Amino acid sequence: MKGIVRIIGFGNLDRGDDAAGLLVARRLHELGVESEECSDPLSLIESWAGADEVIIVDAAVTGAHPGTILVQDVDHDTLSFFEGRETSTHGLGLMQAIELARSLNRLPQRIRIYGIEGQLFEIGVLPSPEILAAVESLAQQLARVHSPSEP
Amino acid sequence: MTNGRMRTIKVDTLARVEGEGALHIKLRGEQVTDVKLSIYEPPRFFEAFLRGRHFSEAPDITARICGICPIAYQMSAIHAIERALGLRIDPAVRLLRRLFYCGEWIESHALHVYMLHAPDFLGYEDVIQMARDHRELVEQALRLKKIGNRVVQLLGGREIHPISAAVGGFYKTPTKRDVQALEEDLKWALEASLQTVKVVSGFEFPEFEQDYEVVALSHANEYPLNEGRLISNRGLNLDAAEYEDHFIEQHVKHSNALHSIIRGRGSYLVGPLARFNLNFDKLPAIAQEAARSVGLKPPVQNPFRGIVVRAVELVFACAEALRIINEYEPPAQPRVEAIPRVGEGQAITEAPRGILYHRYALDENGMILAAKIVPPTSQNQKRIEDDLREFAAQVVAWPLDEATWKCEQAIRNYDPCISCATHFLRLKVERE
Repeated sequence: MKGIVRIIGFGNLDRGDDAAGLLVARRLHELGVESEECSDPLSLIESWAGADEVIIVDAAVTGAHPGTILVQDVDHDTLSFFEGRETSTHGLGLMQAIELARSLNRLPQRIRIYGIEGQLFEIGVLPSPEILAAVESLAQQLARVHSPSEP
Repeated sequence: MTNGRMRTIKVDTLARVEGEGALHIKLRGEQVTDVKLSIYEPPRFFEAFLRGRHFSEAPDITARICGICPIAYQMSAIHAIERALGLRIDPAVRLLRRLFYCGEWIESHALHVYMLHAPDFLGYEDVIQMARDHRELVEQALRLKKIGNRVVQLLGGREIHPISAAVGGFYKTPTKRDVQALEEDLKWALEASLQTVKVVSGFEFPEFEQDYEVVALSHANEYPLNEGRLISNRGLNLDAAEYEDHFIEQHVKHSNALHSIIRGRGSYLVGPLARFNLNFDKLPAIAQEAARSVGLKPPVQNPFRGIVVRAVELVFACAEALRIINEYEPPAQPRVEAIPRVGEGQAITEAPRGILYHRYALDENGMILAAKIVPPTSQNQKRIEDDLREFAAQVVAWPLDEATWKCEQAIRNYDPCISCATHFLRLKVERE
């Protein structure tokens, strides 16, 4: 039994590859999978209220090849692939929101983060083709697992 | 530390400000020899992006400049374009816009007071550490912010980058019932805000009084949000159309953002302190009383007390929102038709961080020929540097890490929204 699963795409549509998470959420919506878009890290804590499992998709910067899909489960360890990304274009930042939720005992039982490696985060830039391909690939992958028709 | 050696306070990545920038302070003994607040701005990207677009797109485009204060951008853009088009707005729409703005003030002030600034006063590195010992305060902040989000969502269609505000009114206006559904939440928010005033007034504030020229809107019978004359404590009294005659923007070598100054005078201060000092008598009685009860009265000249003023403005925003939802009757039409014509319009509104100026020139088809946007943080930027020049001298003898932290706190007094003025912030204090 999976319990209540919530998929949240996180990012900023106006900053190039930072749109990746939001685009995955949109694509999932088109594929008939319930998903949310979020650009405010503090709203994340509210967005996952009541969920047992949360899947967050965001852009990541690790030095990997653009479009690489990374995955990490949040537990008591740090989020290694986000370590290098002290500065977030979302104000407080995804990691800080998660750590704040942990301080408040408001973390869901399970959080899995998918990061899509990006490289262009300037205002007004369009997401790069590698990122768009990764968006499609990850959306399809998540839809296969989380489609309402799946048992 | 009077041995004459040079030191530098340097913050490469300023934390707890919206966006990114850097601070570099040079000290020789107890003398501050240089202060540079550097801001890396994508050069006026949005002003260029607006040129050639239809005026109806401006509210949505400018809302994207800032995730924290999109409504301020929408409101200044809409008012400026309506002025260029000579539009008259239904009073009910005007009231809704005021409610919309109250929602943003609640979101933004709750975020800054509790999440970004309170950790400085309570001695925590950040709100995450603070939450472990002060869970109730942080939960209160989250709930306040959520209530602000609800107001914004009702009128804007969504929380971030709202899309319902339009030139002439709104694409869709809420029913009386929709609006009144906010009442219980707002009553709670008002009580929480009153409590916030008490909590933050109990913090310790450094002795640091400055003689500011404060600049804010002023309206005959309202605490300013959407309209009014632009006034200062040194005699300015202008219409928005005269703004560029009195305020100029200068390029400085160390920053990509422009520094605003008052022509012939220099730096000035915008934001909560300025509004409070110039408009205290326009605050609703409950907010005036909250201020008096903690000994806060104009003129407030210590920027560290800005956190208390913000809390008083939270009281105002909640009380004003409650007043509006009780008075609200839906407008006959959500918006009036906006017919293109050649023209130019300017507007100033009060973003949470201070005045936000927009100017648009339109052609006969309603296309934008020119746009100018002066955000509050770039107006405060020179004032922040001037504060730091004075303040760094006070903390120069402290251990470097403490001096650096205090200087960062002095910057956070302004709640700088670097992402509006610019892009990314980093701090360096150099001692030699």
